[in-house]
Amino acid sequence: MMNKRTPLQSVILYALVLALVIFCVFPFLQILSTSLKHPIDWGNPSLIPRILHLDAYKELLGLMPPKEIDVPASIQRLLDNPALSAEKKQMLLAKFSSGGDVFPFGRYMLNTFVISFITGICSTFLASLAAYAIARLRFPAQSLMANGVLFVYMVGGVLLMVPLYQMSVNVGLASSAGGTIFSLFLIYLIQTLPVAMYMLGNYFRTIPFSLEEAAMMDGCSRVEAFWRIIMPLSKPMLFTVFIYCFVIAWNEYLFASVFLKQYQDFQTLPLALQTLFTSKNAIWDRIMAASMLTLLPVVICFMLANKHLSGGLTDGGVKG
Amino acid sequence: MSSVLIKNESRLGLKLVAPAVGIIGLLVIYPILFNLYLSFFDVQLNGSKTFVGLDNYTELLGNPRYYHSIGVSIIYLIGTVVGTTVLGLAAAILMNQTFRFRNLARGLILLPYFAPVISVVFGWQFIFDPVNGIYNHVVVDVLHLTNERENLIGNPDSALFVVILFDIWKHFPIAYLLFLAKLQSVPKDLYEAAAIDGQNPWGRFWHVTLPELKFVIATVVLLRVIWNLNRFEDVYLLAPNVETLPIFTYYQAFAGIVDQGAAAAISVIQLLVLVGLIWLYVRKVLKW
Repeated sequence: MMNKRTPLQSVILYALVLALVIFCVFPFLQILSTSLKHPIDWGNPSLIPRILHLDAYKELLGLMPPKEIDVPASIQRLLDNPALSAEKKQMLLAKFSSGGDVFPFGRYMLNTFVISFITGICSTFLASLAAYAIARLRFPAQSLMANGVLFVYMVGGVLLMVPLYQMSVNVGLASSAGGTIFSLFLIYLIQTLPVAMYMLGNYFRTIPFSLEEAAMMDGCSRVEAFWRIIMPLSKPMLFTVFIYCFVIAWNEYLFASVFLKQYQDFQTLPLALQTLFTSKNAIWDRIMAASMLTLLPVVICFMLANKHLSGGLTDGGVKG
Repeated sequence: MSSVLIKNESRLGLKLVAPAVGIIGLLVIYPILFNLYLSFFDVQLNGSKTFVGLDNYTELLGNPRYYHSIGVSIIYLIGTVVGTTVLGLAAAILMNQTFRFRNLARGLILLPYFAPVISVVFGWQFIFDPVNGIYNHVVVDVLHLTNERENLIGNPDSALFVVILFDIWKHFPIAYLLFLAKLQSVPKDLYEAAAIDGQNPWGRFWHVTLPELKFVIATVVLLRVIWNLNRFEDVYLLAPNVETLPIFTYYQAFAGIVDQGAAAAISVIQLLVLVGLIWLYVRKVLKW
């Protein structure tokens, strides 16, 4: 009775859906379109580039042919001198090449990938242990911890940036690159642990207890039951949680900006892109291409994990 | 169960939670207390501190920029909370209908939520770019609403509204997911009964959907307030000139004349407000 729609209602429905989808997708199309446009084409309001311009991607991915280096004649004579060591020649050449101008996108991407990957693995692992305990075992202060997780997750990074920075200065971690990256890793761990614990805890509760019981009757210990029964059963959810943690670290800007400002070689993509954007003018094509390449892994992850992600996020509705 | 088993179980439980809880304690609970301590000191970036008592607080309460940022934050909160809730609800009702390509549409509207902030802000900046942006093209060249191209993001007053719109765009999908999950569990007969009673679609929305969703709406609103009170990246990366509380705190702590003690004091006050909101959430909305 209510499922039948008049043609007019159908038109309105499809129009509304289309409007909503365009609203959501338009900025992405804008990024893609601008990344493929030649600078003379930027003012063109159409999303379709007049000429396909792939230079921005080529430059970011290091596929551009190296530029011819202009070397003054006097220096060239020095370079031709066989008495000069190869190392010295390299140094001389470096002064005249424009190598400093290239944005080391690959390096930033690798930095971001490494820290996000390690964060995801560690966080998922630690969270699965804790979530199992909170969901299944009885121990002192259990409900305090269950509630505490939620509270901790809602304390945003902004409230902790000063004390965390001061702590790492006091301990001496902030004075070396390695220590700084370690601090950042720990911070990403606490930004992801609570939500990972929450999602996994909810998931473990849906697994029937009789499975573990049967395993324990067969002689498994509690730990073995967890490791052999619960963990394999939770693989899809563990993967989803890993992706979620990975993406949080991949996207993080605030702490990266606080900790990595002076360690340019170790910067992550969000920080490097922001620096690139504010330091140079009118490089929309490169910025957009970089945005596109930063976006892509996340969208792929999201497609892989979509099914469980939507459910995992809404059960209890923690993340906003 | 024998007492030995209970003892073993609780020992294992403690062992399993220890690493996670230890890290959280060290890097969340301790910093909260350390922050309170720091708020009574004049703190430098290199870690040196001098005790100043309540000076940070009195200076802060006499600083007009602080009140200005509270005002900006309130406008931001009202705009984003109302916007995400209304759009999220509308989207959920829309996506709860049956139509072709529904799964595709459902997937696409989640994209903004998952995309990295850093990438999408550049898309938005380009849209509102005074020279090349589509916004100025439509407003000035197509609709002729104004004669001059405006830099909406460059001007803090208008940038606030762009930032609000951006937040609605980015975060309505989570509200939508929560609403959709609940809508799918509303029994069909409720709608049929209402239809038999002679309710038109609007009446059915008003008398069936809304009462059923009351609880979820409260959840969404409160969670949005809690999250957006601390929202930093979405605002700072799109328009660093919009000074909401977190951005004001960031400037105090890490930019210009660094005053980390003052930043700590702001955080302490903000944390108190947050704790109140979380308490409300746990008590009223989430029934443990």
